[in-house]
Amino acid sequence: MAAPGNLAVLESDLQSAVTLLKNLQDQVMAVTAQVQALTKKVQARAYPTEKGLSLLEVKDQLLLMYLMDLTHLILDKASGGSLQGHAAVLRLVEIRTVLEKLRPLDQKLKYQIDKLVKTAVTGILSENDPLRFKPHPSNMMSKLSSEDEEEDEAEGQSEASGKKSVKGTVKKYVPPRLVPVHYDETEAEREKKRLERARKRALSSSVIRELKEQYSDAPEEIRDARHPHVTRQSQEDQHRINYEESMMVRLSVSKREKGRRKRASVMNSQLHSLTHFSDISALTGGTPHLDEDQNPIKKRKKIPKKSRKKTGFRRRR
Amino acid sequence: MVTDVLHPRKATTPKTEIREKLTKMYKTTPDVVFVFGFRTHFGGDKSTGFGRIYDSLDYRKKNEPKHRLARHGLYEKKKTSRKP
Repeated sequence: MAAPGNLAVLESDLQSAVTLLKNLQDQVMAVTAQVQALTKKVQARAYPTEKGLSLLEVKDQLLLMYLMDLTHLILDKASGGSLQGHAAVLRLVEIRTVLEKLRPLDQKLKYQIDKLVKTAVTGILSENDPLRFKPHPSNMMSKLSSEDEEEDEAEGQSEASGKKSVKGTVKKYVPPRLVPVHYDETEAEREKKRLERARKRALSSSVIRELKEQYSDAPEEIRDARHPHVTRQSQEDQHRINYEESMMVRLSVSKREKGRRKRASVMNSQLHSLTHFSDISALTGGTPHLDEDQNPIKKRKKIPKKSRKKTGFRRRR
Repeated sequence: MVTDVLHPRKATTPKTEIREKLTKMYKTTPDVVFVFGFRTHFGGDKSTGFGRIYDSLDYRKKNEPKHRLARHGLYEKKKTSRKP
């Protein structure tokens, strides 16, 4: 039968086989005890599953069947039979396939199962549970009832769902308090801003532009460009023109408006720009100077403005 | 539409002339063409105004304001007296 070389192998195997068998026996006894305890509990209806998730029930049954077939196979193998074409193998394969297919369903239900388990263990819903924010029709007051019913003040979070309870009593309207923002633009910052603006204006003045043209290599462009300094008057004019052309109506101009326009056009139409140059002291660092006929720089006055009420007849200038 | 009229070295074109020009351009009859609101730009030579051309006499009668119809003689305003 076995060659003398194999005998030695068999002897060493024998030792490990004996220890394995002993281990097996111990474990089998432990498992049997547990299974018997479980069976007793199930038979005593300690685990009612009628109201549970049917998926979990199906999984339970499938796993049990799998175990039964597996034990059947082990029995056959241990008593020396072969597994070729055994019916239990086919059944095992079928159950295995079904369990594999159930795994993605399990994944989808994971959140629900976890929540249910947590609720069962702790007894209450957690704070962040969105189920808390569902609308409560019992909180709404019926407009038909005449007596004042008490409102359910319990869940303030139910307001967040968008269904507000209708108030029966009329309460005084309290406007929402906006948070006042701290204003701390100091004098220095104002100075800085003013200087920035003066610098920008100086950069686009005619003196600097001509210097740029003199020293740059780019070809001279003669463009019919708009006035680089868009004054308020020109902006208003443009706005008026756009409105008139889109609405196809002609708007009337008041006397005051006419005066303003005249003043603005006088400034541009004379040979004013020949001899009067804009102030570039912001770039050169000197003191801001002005020509005699230009408007003086206004200093900020700290006197509060009087309210412009129509007291009496307003003189039309 | 917005109408721009160029008239170098001349005074502002009267509305009747502009109407004739528009009828020639759009190949309609002059009684459905209405122009109004002409303002001459500073310095002369160019003026801008509005023009309206209707598809039919019915539309013109319904949609055009009465004072413009009166300018063409198609509407007579009743001179009601102030005193009762």
